[in-house]
Amino acid sequence: MNMRDQLEALNAKTLEELHQATSAAALEEVRVRFLGKKGTLTHLLRGLKEVPDAERPAIGTLANTLKETFNNVLAQRMNDLKHQELQARLAREAIDVTLPGRRPHAGGLHPVSRALTEITDIFLQMGFPAMSGPEVETDWHNFEALNIPADHPAREMHDTFYLSPGADGGRRVLRTHTSPVQIRVMESYKPPLRVIVPGKVYRCDSDLTHTPMFHQVEGFMVDRDVHFGQLMGLLETFLRRFFERRLPVRFRPSFFPFTEPSAEVDMGCLFCEGSGCRICKGTGWLEVLGSGLIHPNVLGNVGIDKEVFSGFAFGMGVERLAMLKYGIGDLRTFYENDVRFLTRHAGGKDI
Amino acid sequence: MKFTRRWLLEHWQGDLDAEAIGRRLTKAGLEVAAITRLDKGLEHVQAGRLLEVGRHPDADRLTLCRVLVGQEELSIVCGARNHKVGDMVAVAREGALLPNGMKIGKSKIRGVLSQGMLASATELGLATSSEGILILPEETVPGIPIAQWLGRDDDLFELELTPNRGDCLGVRGIARELAALTGRPLRPLTPKVATTDTAPPQILIEHATGCPRYAGRIIRNVTITASPPWLKNRLEAVGLRSINTVVDITNFILLDLNQPMHAFDLGRLALPLVVRGAFAGERLTTLDGTEHTLEPEHLLIADTRQPLALAGIMGGMETGVTESTTDLLLEAAYFDPIMVTRTGRKLGINSDSRYRFERGTDPLGLSLAMERATELILSLCGGEAGPVTLVESGAWTPREPILLRHERINRLAGLRLFNTEMETMLSGLGCEKCLLDGQTLFRPPSHRHDLVLEEDLLEEIVRLHGYDNVTPVLPRVETKPAEYDARETLSPILKRRMAALGYLETINYSFIGKSLQQRFDPAIAPEELVNPISEEMAVLRTSLTPGLLEAARRNLSRGNLNLRLFETGHVFLPGQGHMVERERLAGLITGDLNHRAWHTPTRTVDFFDLKGDLEQLVANMGCGGLVFEPGGPEFLHPGQKAVFHPQDLNRPIGWIGRLHPEQQQLLDPAQPVFMFEFDMDDLHPHLAASGGTDLALSRFPALERDFAFMVDQEVGAGPFMAAMAKIEPELIQEVRLFDVYQGGTLPEGKKSFAIHMVFRSAERTLTDLEAQELCTRIVETAQNQFHAQQR
Repeated sequence: MNMRDQLEALNAKTLEELHQATSAAALEEVRVRFLGKKGTLTHLLRGLKEVPDAERPAIGTLANTLKETFNNVLAQRMNDLKHQELQARLAREAIDVTLPGRRPHAGGLHPVSRALTEITDIFLQMGFPAMSGPEVETDWHNFEALNIPADHPAREMHDTFYLSPGADGGRRVLRTHTSPVQIRVMESYKPPLRVIVPGKVYRCDSDLTHTPMFHQVEGFMVDRDVHFGQLMGLLETFLRRFFERRLPVRFRPSFFPFTEPSAEVDMGCLFCEGSGCRICKGTGWLEVLGSGLIHPNVLGNVGIDKEVFSGFAFGMGVERLAMLKYGIGDLRTFYENDVRFLTRHAGGKDI
Repeated sequence: MKFTRRWLLEHWQGDLDAEAIGRRLTKAGLEVAAITRLDKGLEHVQAGRLLEVGRHPDADRLTLCRVLVGQEELSIVCGARNHKVGDMVAVAREGALLPNGMKIGKSKIRGVLSQGMLASATELGLATSSEGILILPEETVPGIPIAQWLGRDDDLFELELTPNRGDCLGVRGIARELAALTGRPLRPLTPKVATTDTAPPQILIEHATGCPRYAGRIIRNVTITASPPWLKNRLEAVGLRSINTVVDITNFILLDLNQPMHAFDLGRLALPLVVRGAFAGERLTTLDGTEHTLEPEHLLIADTRQPLALAGIMGGMETGVTESTTDLLLEAAYFDPIMVTRTGRKLGINSDSRYRFERGTDPLGLSLAMERATELILSLCGGEAGPVTLVESGAWTPREPILLRHERINRLAGLRLFNTEMETMLSGLGCEKCLLDGQTLFRPPSHRHDLVLEEDLLEEIVRLHGYDNVTPVLPRVETKPAEYDARETLSPILKRRMAALGYLETINYSFIGKSLQQRFDPAIAPEELVNPISEEMAVLRTSLTPGLLEAARRNLSRGNLNLRLFETGHVFLPGQGHMVERERLAGLITGDLNHRAWHTPTRTVDFFDLKGDLEQLVANMGCGGLVFEPGGPEFLHPGQKAVFHPQDLNRPIGWIGRLHPEQQQLLDPAQPVFMFEFDMDDLHPHLAASGGTDLALSRFPALERDFAFMVDQEVGAGPFMAAMAKIEPELIQEVRLFDVYQGGTLPEGKKSFAIHMVFRSAERTLTDLEAQELCTRIVETAQNQFHAQQR
């Protein structure tokens, strides 16, 4: 067998070995056996000096080509094997992705807090920052200053919790609405005023649809030329933003001692869209807000000149709005604090 | 306030259907809560005349009748025996669904076609029991709907009136309102009474402010009987019981003209009549049989001998009208609303009369009511009416006119009405226009006590124009932020942080039972409610703990065993001379740290789970962390409780600990509970917007060293670590306790702290020598301050 044939035979055999090797180590072994100092190719090329001069360059070229081919195939095989090994490892590392994950504790705000936060956020965007006040109030702040004198029948609309008289002998009550904060703010600051007052209020009433403690948000604005149309625009905007629907909104004359004119605000029923259902008692409307222009006697009580300034005020029951928005059916569940209820209503895309 | 449509139409010349009337009233602020048909169940029942009563061919006990209903003749099988040819009967025709639920269709009874049913009073819902079928009076027109014959082809309105609209507590008042709203006029009401030429009753008003006007009239020789159907039906339709003609007529006038009236039995009076304040201790038994002991602030009608009635509230038992009364003294008065409110409230009497006087009746409405009542009495009871005595105390004077500035009205309403439009509306309501020095004024009618200010006229104008005709716009405002700081409370921030730490927010009542309050805060006397709803809600909370623990107890009893709860809210504490409200935050954990799950073994929560959350809650808020010391309230486990304060405050702001086993026993299941509570108002001043001092991120490498110290059992880890950190605050960047060990090879009463420390300078690379020096100082400090031995 001449040199050329020997080389080619060796090459064919070695390539075959490369293809049969199944690990990086086996490939390395083939390489050493072929190209190493004692490798078969090295060994074979030692016989080059016995090749006639004329053939030598061609054989040399052939040997280099064979080496190059070998290295290429080797690299290729090495890659293939690495890939296979990786695939095998990845396969071994596969997990059941449907197993439940490790979840952190599910905390959250009470739905009343969520609603309060949403309401105050909307008003803050419209330039009404939130303020707060005491829950035990004087008769003056809760009633008198709000144009509800002692013998007025409107007092019977408020089932008031009374406390023993304060140190100054004045009658104290648990505030029946958040409106006293309106008085406190107007006593301390000068117009223009824009304020929202979220908070707890108390009425001596407990049944299916009343809890003795509940939450209100009061809001008001006092400035030059504040008018009834602005009150309507603001509340309509608020309701549509809060409920994320372009609902019809209706203003209806009503009576509150601290506003004149006064308006109840109804919005189209969320559930039947006005055709009448159980939730809206067949009327197609849901009563959601009370409002009006601030009564001149109230402005007078806090020393604001009604000839210069005017204002509007409004109030809403937070539980009612939360029930409507989050689909909560029973008022009393708010204060049972069952964690199943709290967890169910702890989230939502807005908080 | 209830009334029917037909009743209303007697006063108003409109022809709207019930629904349209309801819409107009609601839109104008007289909220219609409900409209119901009074003939429900009687829709297909008509009067019919029996033309023939024959035997049923196949049944002895049944009759086969031919009935004329209007123009039709019907053939009806009937099982009753009380009917004969010529009788007028009630025919329930095909399609009727009677009040008792019976459905009437065409049917065959024993093979004979029956085109309906002859109904009994029970079946028509007119009586609870009856025998045989209902036989109607002979003069009844055949074919007339039974509902019409009963006066029930009518709609019942229920109004929810606001307290300012006392003038609409009578049907005529509502008609007046509708007239103003629609422009269709009121029907005139002009009662005609022929009076005898006798002496009028003598009446004195002693309490001038309590009774501005009082009218009385004597009617003699009346016969008091049961009321005729029209009157009876009217009263019953709105839920009143018919009693006798005179009482029914006074009730009718109250409902119709909003003028409460009273009829005294003249035979039992010793005139003159006096309107006066009661004498202290005077007694009066009212019509409802209750005896009241009176005080001078109570307003009375009395005669020369005794009190007769509580003015405007209720008549006396003794002088009321009975069936045997023949001579009456009829009263129509205007009593002061405040006086009536006080008397009624003090004595706890509610009556239709009180309700109306409180809201203000028409001071000038007495005469019309008196004449109308007299007219009715004379026509229903006979008798002769004498002249009226009308006494005025001088306390009532005509209303002052109110200035109307058209431009201001438009400005406040956001409208652009013409002057004449506004004035037409006010005139329509009965306001009288006056001009004075070039200004326009309107004098409100005597029945509108709610119209006093220009703003009251504004409301009337916007209301009549229609709220829905005002264009909603958004206010244009300066974008300047408010003077006041809305971020006055920590509550929203800490609430969000608690939620992020995995706690569910609860909201508990601010009032709790006194014994519960005392269990947790025995040293604090709580504020007590004068009129609590129940014993469990009798005092204002002095701590959030009882409420939060109660929420936990309720959850545990429902099988919710793993709880992480919190609450923020006011507590009500005695302060110096007056009560103070503080805003607090409380947290609670109990049960397993995690739900049992495939991936992580779980364990019961402990003190340090809660403490870590508390530390994390205020981390990086600028208070430099919280400092804990043993101590805390009695209801906590004595060995597992601490009080804490921010770095730069030397009194505790709150406590944390494990519930005392004795308190734990009150839970079911009685599992360990850990809680904390602190005062957010105390914490607030110690926080900073920056969250802490700036940190220069050192570019130089850190050196780390571990130490183990053996100390006495009593040495607290907190002070020990704080002392280590203080040795060279510039260089000691971190002190971390990574193991606490006791027992084993350690002597009794000793424990070991394993501490990892990181040294790093902001200015240079620390040398080994420097690190060595630091280590030496650390070991010395531990030795000197804590008798610690390095191990």
